[in-house]
Amino acid sequence: MNVRPIKVDDLIGMQACNLQNLPENYTMRYYLYHAMTWPSLSYVAEDHKGRIVGYILAKMEEDLKDDEEPHGHVTSISVLRPYRRLGLAKKLMVQSQEAMASVHHAAYVSLHVRKSNRAALSLYRDTLGFTVKDIEKGYYADGEDAYAMCLSLKP
Amino acid sequence: MNRPVPAKRILPSKEATLFKDLLNHYESRQLKKGLKTADQILKKFPEHGETICMKGLVLTHMGRREEGVDLVKQGMRLDLTSHICWHVFGLIQKGEKNYEEALKSYTQALKFDRDNLNILRDAAHLQTQLRNFDALVETRYTILRLRPNFRQHWIALAVAYHLNGNLIEGKKVLEQYERTLKNIPDYDVDHSETLLYHVRLLEDLGEFKEALDILDNNAKQRRILDRTSIMEYRARLLTKSNAAEAESAWRALIDHNPDSYEYYNGYLSQKGLSLDPKVAEALDILQSLSSQIPRAAAPKRLALTLAQGPAFEQLVKPYILLALQKGIPSLFSDLKSLYSLTKPEKQQIIQQLLETELNSIPDIEPSTYLWTLYYLAQHHSYLGDHAKALDILDQAIQHTPTLPDLLMFKGRVLKRCGDYLSAARSINEARLLDGQDRFLNTKTGKYLLRAGMVNEAIGILGMFTKKDAVSPGTDLEEMQSFLYLLEEGNAHRINKKLNLALKKYMAAVKVFETFEDDQYDFHGYNLRKFTVNIYLNLITWEDHLRSHRAYVTAAMAASRIFLAVHDDSSLAKSATIVPELTEAEKKAKKKAKKAASKAEEKKGQQQQSVNEDKGLEAPPKDDDPEGIKLIASSDGLETAARMLRPLTNLLTTANVDLGQKERMEIWLLSYDVAIRRRKLLQALTFLTHAQTLDSSYPGLHLRLVHLHHFIRTTYKDKTPPAPIGPAFIEGVKQLGVPDENQVSLETYNMQYLQKHTSDTHSKCSAEAVVACAKAMRILGSSVGEVEELLFGSLRDNAKNQTPRRGCLTIQIALEMLELLTEMNSERVDEFRQRCQARFERSTVFGTDEEITKLRESVLATPDNGQKDELL
Repeated sequence: MNVRPIKVDDLIGMQACNLQNLPENYTMRYYLYHAMTWPSLSYVAEDHKGRIVGYILAKMEEDLKDDEEPHGHVTSISVLRPYRRLGLAKKLMVQSQEAMASVHHAAYVSLHVRKSNRAALSLYRDTLGFTVKDIEKGYYADGEDAYAMCLSLKP
Repeated sequence: MNRPVPAKRILPSKEATLFKDLLNHYESRQLKKGLKTADQILKKFPEHGETICMKGLVLTHMGRREEGVDLVKQGMRLDLTSHICWHVFGLIQKGEKNYEEALKSYTQALKFDRDNLNILRDAAHLQTQLRNFDALVETRYTILRLRPNFRQHWIALAVAYHLNGNLIEGKKVLEQYERTLKNIPDYDVDHSETLLYHVRLLEDLGEFKEALDILDNNAKQRRILDRTSIMEYRARLLTKSNAAEAESAWRALIDHNPDSYEYYNGYLSQKGLSLDPKVAEALDILQSLSSQIPRAAAPKRLALTLAQGPAFEQLVKPYILLALQKGIPSLFSDLKSLYSLTKPEKQQIIQQLLETELNSIPDIEPSTYLWTLYYLAQHHSYLGDHAKALDILDQAIQHTPTLPDLLMFKGRVLKRCGDYLSAARSINEARLLDGQDRFLNTKTGKYLLRAGMVNEAIGILGMFTKKDAVSPGTDLEEMQSFLYLLEEGNAHRINKKLNLALKKYMAAVKVFETFEDDQYDFHGYNLRKFTVNIYLNLITWEDHLRSHRAYVTAAMAASRIFLAVHDDSSLAKSATIVPELTEAEKKAKKKAKKAASKAEEKKGQQQQSVNEDKGLEAPPKDDDPEGIKLIASSDGLETAARMLRPLTNLLTTANVDLGQKERMEIWLLSYDVAIRRRKLLQALTFLTHAQTLDSSYPGLHLRLVHLHHFIRTTYKDKTPPAPIGPAFIEGVKQLGVPDENQVSLETYNMQYLQKHTSDTHSKCSAEAVVACAKAMRILGSSVGEVEELLFGSLRDNAKNQTPRRGCLTIQIALEMLELLTEMNSERVDEFRQRCQARFERSTVFGTDEEITKLRESVLATPDNGQKDELL
């Protein structure tokens, strides 16, 4: 599969991929907001026909607290079920992290995951090297808690 | 322009201060205070237009829209020369997405206050939205002249020139701007983006050397920060200027991201090679890259495209075996682009390899064994042998009944056989193995919709939609799911509920309108963020947006329904007859109603907090959830024409990614709409375009007959009225249909039929039959004649043949069945049975009762399912 930075044309495919895979969904405006603000942070994986089979939608944290270093945040990452076990999530993540560090000087990258989503938790922790930093009570619209995870980008 | 201020606008100093407060309250969205202040002024000066307008604006923000808009209009009438009144009116119109009228109001406002920055800025955004670039340049120029020390005003003017196609002026502005800059801080992302825009501008102008200089200098000084962009621009610019370093630039990109195909292409073509199988050297390079970067998947896969014969065999073996051991589900979809009908060498090598592997039992690992079967099933189904695929799948499922992928693919094969019901059942069994997985859930919903089981699909999809949504469908529509909207539209169409189908298709069209509105805020936002390159791409994307497949599908399906209703108004009437609801449906309806009223209640509660800003956008209202008014609307054809226009425009002006068949169908459908609207020259133009694309296309033949029949019956022997009539008739002659005095339309139709069905290798013989049958109907042939033709086409091909182009498909057979039904043929059931015999596994030819009965078993638990196994 081809892994490359996003183009505006990819956003509809990313949105469709997200809707098929994950319970947290967003309207096009939110995808546009990411692409228009941080055009270099999001990546896609596409098949031979150019269909989006995986993506990472990423941003920089905007409201930094006083003691916080600049850091990136993964809004959403997923790979269509039939395209798993190819290491695509890792490849997407690595590219995005590189851009967070080089363009925006991110010190680390954070993300949220549903407490009940064990498959995702294991991907972030075991495959991608994230650690659980905190539990955010009632983070999701339906009241579920989230693990706040992060990964240092310092060499 | 200094006009005297009209007396009625001047307020005494106390009220004048209050009015300033009112403006400030509005700016800071202190709506409650704003309202109070407005009322204070109006107590003494009830006729003060500007205050009335402002009060209306505040009320609109508070969600009291109707009242607010009325006040704004009232205030306008009282003071037609106030820039505030016009500005407020413009804001309201913009909120209603009426950009053209809003721009007119802003232009009026500027007449009375030409240097007002707020108004100028909003006007610039509207001009961009409307692609009114000449005016945009002027507005941006005025803004820069008024406030030259704002960085973004310079960029804004350069971008305006760029959008207007004047790159040279854009470049001048940008250079002038860069000269004014002092003390740029380190690591300034904004400046980095500006410089990257400068590089792009020079690239677009063909000034590659200058572009490279700017790129290299600023990259060295760490002023351009985006490493990926630097490397990509560098490789591209060096390539375009034929520099020797281009090769190493592409090579560096491969190291940077070894999974991007574009970089390999760039590298190879720099070496004078391409992904053309004839050149062995390219293969060597890829293999050497692959050993240098072992983790990269791309060069291994690209090598398979290049290698032939024994070399291919040698490379594909470890590739496949490793993937089978790892259990990579996408292996087949990865390799199928190597398959070819004309050069089957590669698929034969793969098949042989896999069969040898299977025969190595008992050495083979159980999981490898399963994934090998999985691959072979996909292989055979792709090549048309669905029966063999199903055999293999059953063998695999018996071995391991708990692997969802097997059941999913079984569903897909069954779908290909036309057995939509067993297909849905199989996918549902896969879903039951992993209820946490939304992918399996979505697929189940999709397959249920394919089987026409709308309520069941909604029930399944609802497991993952927001719990507080009015219904699962509402959530999916709000989340802009084309998959859901289009599939449910199709399901309703299959079920002959055209009003509901139309509703869904129009909802999908609406999503594209929303996408177009979405760009509005970015006209200002990106300039503030200096992200110009991606912004220019956004504008291009928006301009080509409607060539997206989802729009094409939705707009065409909706237009077809409007056409059908125009030709037979009883279709709209039958939509209004409410069918008897089943118990389950009644329950579901009650539940939806309850949820809706709950959602309303919640909204009502939110309205309690008066200060909450509801914005200026008109909230969507839907007083026609079943689409009954929609389908009966008198301007259906106009709506269809409006939806199709962007498509025909894109086909003639832009390089859009649509296939030949889609293009043909767009032209032909546009003809259908135009001729019914009596837009003669348009209709003629559309047919001419279609003819240029493919003169023997069956759908085109049908329209040619239709057009001549239309002229004959509408105008008799006369020419339609000038000035259009004579030009139209002259143009029609150019289409090449013989004069009716020499060859009758009936004979012309039969000649086409003979020509395109006698040759068994004709690529569209079954479609030709349908087109001729429909033409016969237009020409008034008897039911018997049409029956004879259609039944004849069932005789032609032996069943269970490998599908090839031109043979009868389930879809075409259904179209024939529909035609016979429309003509009230007495042989409909006979035709149905013959189709059933022809497509044994298919469930679409059953009677309504048969299908209803089959549907009941689809969501039964697997245990029950196995008992009444249909296969």
